Amino acid sequence: MFQKLITESTGKSPWLFHINAGSCNGCDIELVAVLTPRYDAERLGFKLTGSPRQADIVVVTGPVTKQSLPRVLRAISQVPEPRCIVTMGSCPQSGNVFRGSYSIVGPLSKYVDVDVDVAGCAPKPEAVIDGLALATKILMEKRGQKK
Amino acid sequence: MTIIIDGLRYLAYILIFPGFLFCFLTGLLLCGIDRKLVARMQKRIGPPILQPFYDFFKLLGKETIVPAAANKTVFLLAPLVGLAAQVVLQLFIPVFQFNAFHGVADVIVILYLLLIPALSVILGAASSGSPYAGVGLSREMVTVLSVELPLVLVLLAVAKTVGNAIGTGLCFSLTDIVNYQIANGSLITRLSMLPAVAAMLLIIPGETGSHPFDAAEAETEICEGMLAEYSGAPLAVYKLSHAIKLLTLTSMFVALFLGGIGGGVMAMFTGVSPVVAGSVGLLLEILILFVLCVVLVAICVSLIHAVTARLRIEQLFKYYWTVVTGLAAISVVLAWYGL
Repeated sequence: MFQKLITESTGKSPWLFHINAGSCNGCDIELVAVLTPRYDAERLGFKLTGSPRQADIVVVTGPVTKQSLPRVLRAISQVPEPRCIVTMGSCPQSGNVFRGSYSIVGPLSKYVDVDVDVAGCAPKPEAVIDGLALATKILMEKRGQKK
Repeated sequence: MTIIIDGLRYLAYILIFPGFLFCFLTGLLLCGIDRKLVARMQKRIGPPILQPFYDFFKLLGKETIVPAAANKTVFLLAPLVGLAAQVVLQLFIPVFQFNAFHGVADVIVILYLLLIPALSVILGAASSGSPYAGVGLSREMVTVLSVELPLVLVLLAVAKTVGNAIGTGLCFSLTDIVNYQIANGSLITRLSMLPAVAAMLLIIPGETGSHPFDAAEAETEICEGMLAEYSGAPLAVYKLSHAIKLLTLTSMFVALFLGGIGGGVMAMFTGVSPVVAGSVGLLLEILILFVLCVVLVAICVSLIHAVTARLRIEQLFKYYWTVVTGLAAISVVLAWYGL
């Protein structure tokens, strides 16, 4: 019963941590737009945290530059289990317009298990909320398997 | 025999009402109402009112990471000490005519106990070994320092007013303060107390670290400050004791300035048997207390949160030691001249 309560709660309070892996700032602004009064992701329990230790979902933006890769991996490893990794925008998936550059070491899925990809340059806030809701479902499944 | 019954009664006080269970439910509910109100003021739909409960249970299910640089014992024990002190604090605050513990000087005890939750966060942060927590804890110390002075002055003003009236000089017993108000009307109606009321309304957001006064937990600049390294169950305990702090401070405001409201409740039950009158009256009093707490949270936490931006730490210090201390000092002077 108690385990079920915790699993239910996990689906209702996913906290986000945002990592910028060399992004052009477009996706970063769109992620914040999701939390503004117009889209208000807080009604689903989403909250932007300042510390990776308190996060459930890690949102990565940007094409994963050589400089940022070790920092991204270190920040992700600080997030307690169960956790979900969401890539936002086309950059972390394919490199987008930066593909082939000497300073890009992406895609991110070469280094960590990515749970959800939200494509677009930049993705619409609706698409971001959709992707985050999917990540929340995956988070609940992970929590359910753990017990 | 009486020892056993007394023991069981105190156990019920500590665990159920007005101790842990009551604090848990009402504290988190108050916190949820606060978040909903802020959202509505910003024209958002906002999270469900039960959101803090979801957050709490989710955090219990997360992995707890202890950083390699941390002192494990202090890091894990500090949140529990803070929560215990917070619940004990709530036991000393009367719900109108009902109170679990009382003494001749419980105001002084409350003053000391109020420090322990803040100190426990500082201790936990200091043991976590994170530079962000270091910045946060130095700011928290300044916040505690700046809020404490006006708080002492407010309590002194109330103690002097009631003490003058009942002829003991200074009255440091919350029970006597509430009983005096039930007999003679709430202190908020006195002209000399109005500056103290305003000061107390500004102390509540400072003490709970809510928006304009949250330099210590600035999530956008120093990664949640003191809680930067906390995850899982210890973080849940911190969030819980923060929510209970909201309840404690607002119910303390009710006891200090609005105590007279409870007077009419028990008078309604003069003809009924004492057991029925006691239990139904107590339930009504709890309900009234909760409504008053919600109103206070709406005024001094949610509204101020929605309309202001964060102050820098030195601005916070200056604000409390000039404006708020000034207001409280006016009340003390007026009370001393018996107005």
